[in-house]
Amino acid sequence: MTANPSTQPSNIRERPSKRFPTIERLAEGWAVYKENLIGKIGLTLLVIFALMAVCSFFPPLIDPMYHPMTGVDPIISHSTGPSWRHWLGTDFIGRDILCQLLAGARIAFMVGISAAFMSIFLGTIIGMIAGYAGKIVDTLLMRLADMIMVMPTLLVVLILSSLFGQLNIWTIVLLIALFRWPGVSRVIRAQTLSLKERSFIEAAKVTGASHFRIIFRHIMPNVLPLSLLYMTFRVTSAIIIEAALAFLGFGDPSTVSWGMMLQWVWKTGHMFQAPYWLLPPGICISLLTLSFYMLGRAMEEVLDPRLRKEVAQE
Amino acid sequence: MALLTVENLSIGYHTRKGFLKSVQGVSFSLAEGESLGLVGESGCGKTTIGMCLMGLLPENAAVTGGRILFEGTDLLQLSKTEIRRVRWKKIAMIFQAAMNALNPVHRVGEQIAEAILAHHADISEETAMKQVESLFQVVGIPPDRINDYPHQYSGGMKQRAIIAMALSCNPPLIIADEPTTALDVIVQDQILNAIKDFQNKLNVSLIFISHDIAVVADVCDSIGIMFAGQLVEYGTVKDVFNAPMHPYTQTLLASYLTLDKDTVHLNSNPGETPDLINATAGCRFSERCAFADADCSLNTPEWIEISPMHKTLCSRFK
Amino acid sequence: MKNPNTVIVQLENISKTFRTRTSFLTGASKEVVALNRVSFEIFKGEIFGLVGESGSGKTTIGRLMVKLETPDSGKLWVDGNYIAHIKGRKLKNFRRKVQMIFQDPYQSLNPYLSVFDSVSEPLVVHNVGDSKTRRDRVRQSLHAVGLSPPDDLFYRYPHQMSGGQRQRIAIARAMVLEPEFVVADEPTSMLDASIAIHIFNILSDLRKKFKVTFLFITHSLAAARYLCDRIAVIYKGEIVETGPAEDIIQNPQHPYTQALIKAHPRFRHSLKRNIIRSKGT
Repeated sequence: MTANPSTQPSNIRERPSKRFPTIERLAEGWAVYKENLIGKIGLTLLVIFALMAVCSFFPPLIDPMYHPMTGVDPIISHSTGPSWRHWLGTDFIGRDILCQLLAGARIAFMVGISAAFMSIFLGTIIGMIAGYAGKIVDTLLMRLADMIMVMPTLLVVLILSSLFGQLNIWTIVLLIALFRWPGVSRVIRAQTLSLKERSFIEAAKVTGASHFRIIFRHIMPNVLPLSLLYMTFRVTSAIIIEAALAFLGFGDPSTVSWGMMLQWVWKTGHMFQAPYWLLPPGICISLLTLSFYMLGRAMEEVLDPRLRKEVAQE
Repeated sequence: MALLTVENLSIGYHTRKGFLKSVQGVSFSLAEGESLGLVGESGCGKTTIGMCLMGLLPENAAVTGGRILFEGTDLLQLSKTEIRRVRWKKIAMIFQAAMNALNPVHRVGEQIAEAILAHHADISEETAMKQVESLFQVVGIPPDRINDYPHQYSGGMKQRAIIAMALSCNPPLIIADEPTTALDVIVQDQILNAIKDFQNKLNVSLIFISHDIAVVADVCDSIGIMFAGQLVEYGTVKDVFNAPMHPYTQTLLASYLTLDKDTVHLNSNPGETPDLINATAGCRFSERCAFADADCSLNTPEWIEISPMHKTLCSRFK
Repeated sequence: MKNPNTVIVQLENISKTFRTRTSFLTGASKEVVALNRVSFEIFKGEIFGLVGESGSGKTTIGRLMVKLETPDSGKLWVDGNYIAHIKGRKLKNFRRKVQMIFQDPYQSLNPYLSVFDSVSEPLVVHNVGDSKTRRDRVRQSLHAVGLSPPDDLFYRYPHQMSGGQRQRIAIARAMVLEPEFVVADEPTSMLDASIAIHIFNILSDLRKKFKVTFLFITHSLAAARYLCDRIAVIYKGEIVETGPAEDIIQNPQHPYTQALIKAHPRFRHSLKRNIIRSKGT
């Protein structure tokens, strides 16, 4: 009456990955992602911008006049159009526009990703705790989230800026994060609620795992993909908020961002005279946010198996 | 002439990992009023066959060979519109957990009448409702429940309503895919009785797909045992059960627990489902087979006739 | 192995009611009586079957025994201890001794944990052993459920495995702490028949090897008869009949039990089998 030990599962099972399922899933996810046209376009654009951000370090090394903030061309001291010397032209005090654009890419990535990361971090933890704890804790946290969600981020940050003077870029990032976590937390909370009912969570309870362990070891890995997905969407809003702030004059004056460039165009009266100066930053803002958005949509298909074209099982 | 003849049917799915040969060279036939059970474990291809007969295969499925002759016409050659005409009017299906197929915001009687009217534009609503009443009688639902909503029905009654819907257009063939799997034993018994009843009364042919061999034995005249996409044994229930030839059939019969068997401790050697993407030409059961020899995994097994009504796919009996 | 005088689990007049959510319009809520004054005992070392249909309350009983739910009234003893209000250290000790195998092997393993991680989780939670002894214990546990060579298996993930294998891993996880009492909640209802037999044989072996007591919850009388020493039949929240498995099958007293037996599908045509009751065609 003995049970025979099972034979090693044969050919159908792939070689086991010694690493996390993450690697295997990434590979599988990549295969799905590749088929999505939007994702490919988005990713290509992102790579271009990332390259821009990386390249932003080089021009000042070639010639100090190419420094985005301080690099003033000794010959030119006003806004000029594109030339061999300055591929996109110069701004109102003779600084190279292309370098500013590249530096702006760097700032956009930094701001976008940091702000998004922080808001996701906060939102995920709060969402998990609210979903898992339920009852009073849940109600309190969600009401808090509601209150924050209702406030218009841009307006509040503007008010704070005007009260406290020019804000440092990292302060701006923090503020954006503080105002954007509620959206994420709602989604994570919903996901946690549904996960809570699944048997492996109950199995963890029966094993005797503490609440902390259940949340961070069992629930978190399962909500993380969703968090990451939402991060891509948060990046878009972070970039736009920062650009808007900079444009309205509340940005960090020591950093060159695309929004800041737009502000200079406007403030110095070159809006309609210098399209080579006006258009690039505007286009970049739009394209970068668009590419993150496309990335997010394509990732959605990877993460939600229902959206995929899968094999019908028996 | 048989109502349905399936000849050498092969179906596969295009997956990211390759082409999954889900059904391989299956042949069987069904006479009018006959009931055939297709039995096998998960992944054996039985549901795929059912879906193919109904023309409901998903986009990534492909029929790679064979014919399906239904009332003389090859279903595989029909266009989508033609299939739609055949479907439900000539071949109806009862799905697994079909009680979720009822729309919760419409009355049950109306939904069935709607199915009737969809396929017979020329009859009046009243006539349709009258037909619903007689159908309910066939499946055993009290007529006063016609105007209830689905949530007022029990699980068993919902399933019976679904059976009534399947019968509504008087199809000569009904395909039931695991119709009782989600139900309790007592309700299952009632449903099986209802199925046997309507089969007798209406002379409908039935293909009953299930993983539960006892249920199939209870309801069907003939049985086909499927393993890894191949039909490994085929014959009348009596012949196959009294003299199971294929080793897999023997395994299946040995692993089924009944109340009327002496308590024998069963040996288990389950093994894994074979790889259907890189399937070898040889017998797909050879890895698990106690009688397999070197030839078995290399050469295609042959279809051997034990008796006119009993065939098996195993080279041992040559 | 069976000591009829040692009771390991005892239920006395356990009742539980579930209230469904209040209806938005009418404010009324439905009350479902899941269990109504249920009482029975399980002896140490036996495999006790609880047979009932869906909605009978059998799963609720299982969940009460592992403290996933609390009863509204009645008393529940495990190993002589009244478990209703235990907390802290006592609760942790309880969790070491009482484990559960869930119905759905596709849901009861964390998809992000490898086999090794899943099976060693109880050891980590209870701080048992160090990394070497844990590997040994996980290996032993996997071997006991027939999975070997286990080392290769350690790094696989649930989605790479079949339902039967996953369920065996869930069993290995439940057994790694060598508990005294395990609730198996319909462990094979999502698996094919031949795999189910394999699982039953494994449970039987485990009982012999580890002297563990099992509560086997099922909707199949036939399965209960194959695996269990004693059976209780439950209907609509009440125990209608209890007794040795073979007795209940051959001599059912309660009409519900009789109906269950009668409804069980039979091989109409088999001549080799001893048919208890013949069904009309």
